[in-house]
Amino acid sequence: MLAWLEGTALATWTRESPSIWAYPLVLTLHTVGLGIVVGASAVIDLRLLGVARRISMPSLAPLFRITLWAFVLNTLTGVLLFIADATHKAGQTVFYIKLGLIALALWNTVLARRVVLGPTQNDAAPSSRHSRLAVVSLLLWFGAITAGRLMAYL
Amino acid sequence: MNVQRMLVSATIAAAGAAVVLMAVPALAHHSSAPFYDATKRVEAQGPVTKFLFKNPHSFLYFEEATAQGKVEWQVELGAAAGLTRTGWTPETLKPGTLIKVNGQPSRAEGSHGMCCARITRADGSPIVAGGRVTEEEQPPK
Repeated sequence: MLAWLEGTALATWTRESPSIWAYPLVLTLHTVGLGIVVGASAVIDLRLLGVARRISMPSLAPLFRITLWAFVLNTLTGVLLFIADATHKAGQTVFYIKLGLIALALWNTVLARRVVLGPTQNDAAPSSRHSRLAVVSLLLWFGAITAGRLMAYL
Repeated sequence: MNVQRMLVSATIAAAGAAVVLMAVPALAHHSSAPFYDATKRVEAQGPVTKFLFKNPHSFLYFEEATAQGKVEWQVELGAAAGLTRTGWTPETLKPGTLIKVNGQPSRAEGSHGMCCARITRADGSPIVAGGRVTEEEQPPK
């Protein structure tokens, strides 16, 4: 199955194309998508922590859709990067740690979305629930990035 | 701290980081230091056994005949996309081609790996006519 994935035309193109518009572009898009997903999440997290309180919570709503689209981009580019090297990556523990942290971070984002879109008092100090969601989110994304980067080294 | 002072501090920090990066010529890509020892060089020669021309890093294998028998070396090279720009193709090093390789040895105990290598034909001439012989100034991986 993994070997078959690795042998598909798409995987072979990603892995073996000498073009700068192949692997380097896929990897670049994966990095840009990561920047947007984690960047937008960090904005939400910081607001939950009480930074920039003049921004009303519900006005952050569009950030969730931007996060979603950037996440779709990273799923697509991530699949390409995975299949190009499937037999190796599927054997890496740190890859599963990365996927697990991303899953938890996304679930946390769903919870944060309910809070952000729910009724809030803008100038109120952040509740402990808000702070918890934000800190957990930041830690999970930090961990996911670290795990992803370590895939090149472990 | 006001915004203007923060911006000034950030700019100074960024400029400082840029100076440090320029002072360390090895940091073009990302460090090979976890895997290869930049303070040492090893040299070996023999026929190419396999050339994996791929992204994000290519691998070249060749066989050295030693007193203890044959040893297969693994040489880590740059991405297919990068090698292409230096004139290399997947056909550049066919199995059997005699080469001489001088590079940084792998840190892994008992392994025969190299990176950041100078690769020539057995007589010292460039692999690709007119091409450079140092595949990568620095760090793969």
